[in-house]
Parts: sequence; C-alpha cells; structure tokens
Amino acid sequence: MIFSPPLRGRVASALPPLLAALAVAGALASSPASAATVEGRVSLPATRSTPVVNQRYEIVTKSGVLSTNPPVAVVYLEGQFPAPATPPVASMRQKDLTFLPSLLPIQAGTRVEFPNLDDTYHNIFSFSPAKRFDLGRYRAEDRPIPSQVFDTPGLVTLRCDIHEHMRALILVLATPHFVVTDADGRFRLTGLPAGRYTLKAWIDSKTTRTQAVELPATDVPVRADFP
Amino acid sequence: MNARSPFPRRWLPGARRAGITVLVCAALATTRAERRIDDYLDRLEDLLTISAHEGRARAHLSGTLELEGYRTQLPAPGVFETRDGSLLETRLTVFLDSQLGPHAYLFAQARADHGFDPGERGAELRLDEVALRLAPGPRREFNLQVGRFATVVGNWATRHLSWGNPFITAPVPYELLTGMWDTEAVRSSNMLLQWAHLRPGQSAQTTAIEKSLRLPIVWGPSYADGVMISDAFGRFRYAVEAKLGSLSSRPEAWRHSREQRHHPTFSARLLWRPDTAWQFGVSGSRGVYLREFAQDTLAAGTGRGDYRQEVVAADASYAWRHWQVWAEVFGARFTIPRVGNAETLAWYSELRYRFTPQWSGALRWNQQVYANILHRGVPTPWGQEVWRIDVAPALRLTPHTQLKFQYSLQRGDSAPRDTTRTLATQLTLRF
Repeated sequence: MIFSPPLRGRVASALPPLLAALAVAGALASSPASAATVEGRVSLPATRSTPVVNQRYEIVTKSGVLSTNPPVAVVYLEGQFPAPATPPVASMRQKDLTFLPSLLPIQAGTRVEFPNLDDTYHNIFSFSPAKRFDLGRYRAEDRPIPSQVFDTPGLVTLRCDIHEHMRALILVLATPHFVVTDADGRFRLTGLPAGRYTLKAWIDSKTTRTQAVELPATDVPVRADFP
Repeated sequence: MNARSPFPRRWLPGARRAGITVLVCAALATTRAERRIDDYLDRLEDLLTISAHEGRARAHLSGTLELEGYRTQLPAPGVFETRDGSLLETRLTVFLDSQLGPHAYLFAQARADHGFDPGERGAELRLDEVALRLAPGPRREFNLQVGRFATVVGNWATRHLSWGNPFITAPVPYELLTGMWDTEAVRSSNMLLQWAHLRPGQSAQTTAIEKSLRLPIVWGPSYADGVMISDAFGRFRYAVEAKLGSLSSRPEAWRHSREQRHHPTFSARLLWRPDTAWQFGVSGSRGVYLREFAQDTLAAGTGRGDYRQEVVAADASYAWRHWQVWAEVFGARFTIPRVGNAETLAWYSELRYRFTPQWSGALRWNQQVYANILHRGVPTPWGQEVWRIDVAPALRLTPHTQLKFQYSLQRGDSAPRDTTRTLATQLTLRF
C-alpha cells in the first residue's frame, strides 16, 4: 500500500460512500429507463395560407411555388437546469426562398448558423429585443456560414430584407428539454429528470399553455395533453 | 442668410412644420405600443393572405403608408411641385400579389395621394400597376407579361418603392426635367432654348405650368401599358417590352395610353450576372415622345412618328454584406425634324451602407450634360449642365416602420441661383 497509516484509515472510511455514488451513477448511466418521458398532443391553430412571393420587378421569375409550413408547437419543461458545457449549434436554413424550419426552439447559449441554400442573396435580420442583428447579404458559398449566439431567452422573429414574405421564429428557452410537435400536434419529450415541473406548450406569440407534471424516475410515459 | 445654418431663416417655419410632423410620428413609432402594433402587423400580414385549391391559388394584400415632408428653394427641382417651397405629402399604396398555380402571377398597385409625384394637387386614387405574368412550359423561365407595369430599362425600377429605396427622390435621369415638351413640337432652336431656360422669352404663365410640359429622360418607373417577354439563359437574362408610352412619358400619359396605339415604344434589356454579387445590364428604347394633342404643332410634312426618343443605357450593381452600390448611365436622343437631334447624357452612382441593424446611410452623385444643337449656325448646348449630390441617412424603427432623411445640393438648371438645396424626410409604415 502506498498510503501512510493515518491516510490509509481516511481512504478506507471514504471508500464505501464513494463506491455507492459510483454504483448509483453507473446505474443511471446504464439504465435510460430511469429518465422520464412525457407525451401528448397540443391542439394547433388552423393552417396558415402559404405566402406569395413578390415578383413585381424581377424580369425573369421561375419561383412562386413555396412549400407549406403547417403550424406546429414547442413543448418544453420549465425549471432550473444548468447551462450547456459547450454551446450547442443549430441551423436555420434558407431554401427555395423559405426558412427551414419555420420555428426553431433552442436553449439559451446556442449558436445558430444561417446557411443560404439558394442561388440568390439573402439578408437575415432581427429587431426582436431578445436578439437584434443584421447579417447583411451573403451567398451560398460564403464561409464561414453566418451565425449568431442567442443568449437571452425570448422570441426572436427572423426576416429577410430582400424577400419580404420570408419570416421565421427562434424560440430561445432556458431549458435543454424541449421538442417540436408534429403537424398533428403530437409530441414525445424524453430523457427528463424526475420531479415536479411545469410543462409548457408554446403555440404562438400570444398563446402559451401550461400544466404541472410530476415525472417519475421510471420509463412509463406521462400523458399531458394541451387541448 | 444665417451664417451658421445652411438654410435661410425664412425656411424654418415650413421646414419645422413638416419636420415636426414626421418626427412626432417617428417618435410614436418607437413606443411600446408600436412594438405591439408590430406583432399585430405580422398577424395582419397572415390574415391578408388567402388561398384556395390547397394553396395552388393564393393572394396577398400588402401596402405602405407614407408621410413625406419637403423643404426646397424655388424653383423646386425635379418633378415635385410647390409654390412656397414646403410640402407635406401623404400616400397610401396597396399591393396585390397573386399566384395562380405555378404558371401565372398577377400583381397590382393602387395609390391614394396628391398625384404620382409630390405636389399641391387634389387627392386622387389611381391604379398604377396591374399586370398578369405567365410562365408557360415546364422550365418556367420564359415569361410573358401583359398590363401596366414598370419599365425593364435600367436597374432603378427594382428599388423605386419607398421601403427599398435608400433615397426619397429619384436619381437625376429619372426626374430632372429637360427642355423637351410632350405637348408641343419644337419648331426652332430658339424655341427649344427658351423651353430650357437658356434664352429669354418664355412667358411667366408658361413658366408657372412648365412642369406639366417638360420631360425627363425616364419618368420614374414608367408605368405604361404594354406587353413584355423575358427569359434566362445561364447567367444571362433578357426582357423585351412594347409599351404605349415612351420612357419619358408622364404619369398622366400612362393613363391615356391609347393615344400611342399607333406609335408603340420598344425597349429591351440584357442582364449578365457573373455571380450573385455583381450584375451588369445594357438597355435600349425607341418610341415617340409627343402626345396626340401635339399633332397640330408638327413641322410640315412630318408625323408624330418622326419625333422619337431613343435611349441607350448601361447599368451595374454590386452587393456584399452591408454594402450596396448601383450605377447607371443614360444617353438619350430626341429627334426634332427641321431642327436636329437634341442629345443628353446623364449618369449617377449610389452607395448604401448599413451601419447597424437599424441605421444605414446612402450617398448619390448625379450628373447630366447636354450636347449641342445648331442655333443660328452656332453649336449651342440645349440644356444647362446639372450635378446633384444626395445624402440620405435612414433609420429602421421597427420591421414595419422606417424613417429617412435626404439633403440634396443641386447645381445648374436653377436660375436665378447657382445652387438649389432640398431637405426631405419620409416616414414609411409597411403592412
């Protein structure tokens, strides 16, 4: 033994709790079933009409057909969660004169890249209090891809200074636990810590629904609907 | 003149009235209420879009509400009219954009204001643009457009609306009035020089109404009736239009386009985009500049078709991040039987830089020179050389409101003074 006798006693007394902690950590790591899951459905508003591209002063236009973005909601778990150790990276693309996705939830501290996948300029900007920026005009081949870090929770409305019909939202959240519903409003939020929390469904800038949930340390899904 | 101020003291009451009105509206636009209104405007935008047949047919209404204040030394430069040098203008513009399947696009623009160009006239409601664009075939790059729409000549028409225009007034080639009229044919060199203020003899009565007589090279976006075809090949695009109105024709003539049914104006533009940042274009146009009621003033043995406006133009633009640059040069010839050709050359370049998401600034240099005509055997310029510098800071208050200022200093064509200074401010609400 390399330790001297007094230190050897201290190590011996510290071993049992250390081993216990390691056992718990190992159990948690090897058993994802202990992370809670919540699932349910959010009632979504009616589908919005697809925008119309302004082509009045283009001498040649081949666009005009935009993909439809059905309304979706963001479901997230509100609570005190640590900030990410390394800033996550997300992407808000511009493709066929449309933002993809049209609604992007992120955790505060996330860097969002704005790749231009069209063969024309885009000029993304935001005047929202949560993040004010203007990327200027940039092309598909420009590197590095323009990006911004979103530090402040809140709603950020993105627009393009060139294509007036383009609009998208970034919902900056103080939680790492969020999910976007499908077009029918269904969601499944996994990997949640056990405990009592508030579950929120963000539907639009004026509508956020709330309900309390108690998440067990089992893999049995908890049902939470937002009618 | 006040030694410290670039403007005479007597300017202040009018300038203050117009300026304060615009600034109060701008201040209101920055309140919390306006930020809520911003959200409502986004919702309104969604409400004003309707669709049918599973989105294959869609229509969208949008518009701008503009409040403009002007203060200028007299005679007012360009196309706007004022008796005392100050002017407050309000304008409501409503746009319709409609996509009817993948092959048809319909658009329209209606305005309520006091005339197409700012002036002290009665209120009027106009349909400035209405056109149908068809893109037949699977490639959809061959376009056919019919109706009333902006000219394909030059690159200014793409940014002439208040929201996208870095300035409040148009560049010199699009608004500086030459000595050429559309209501009467020039019958002598002396007559043309009188109309251009280079020879005495024009009556005070004529001088008072001459803005309804004189012509620029291109009148703004030139919304005349016509038909256009366009296509794209690789990095090249072209457009050819036949319109019932020359490039110089005034807004009143656009609404009486049948006058020109026997004298259509043909214009074309070829555009080369080597990459996304650069764009180069050449344009040409040929048409009749005299209106129908000038028929009785034609030289003997001539017809209206002999009084032609011929224009060649070249343009370039560049954009990169927060920089935008545009430049255009126009050469115009007005043919005048028995007198000769009256030729003029005009050019400008514009630079805009966005300093912050909200603040931007723009600078423009404009110049126009005139060739000689033979006057009593002596080569004489038929107009006075003009240069003008425009400076325009702009503030985007919100995504839907914008405040612009413009200071212009013009030299030439401003008798009895050497220079004319103009202040303008414009508040735009977009919905």
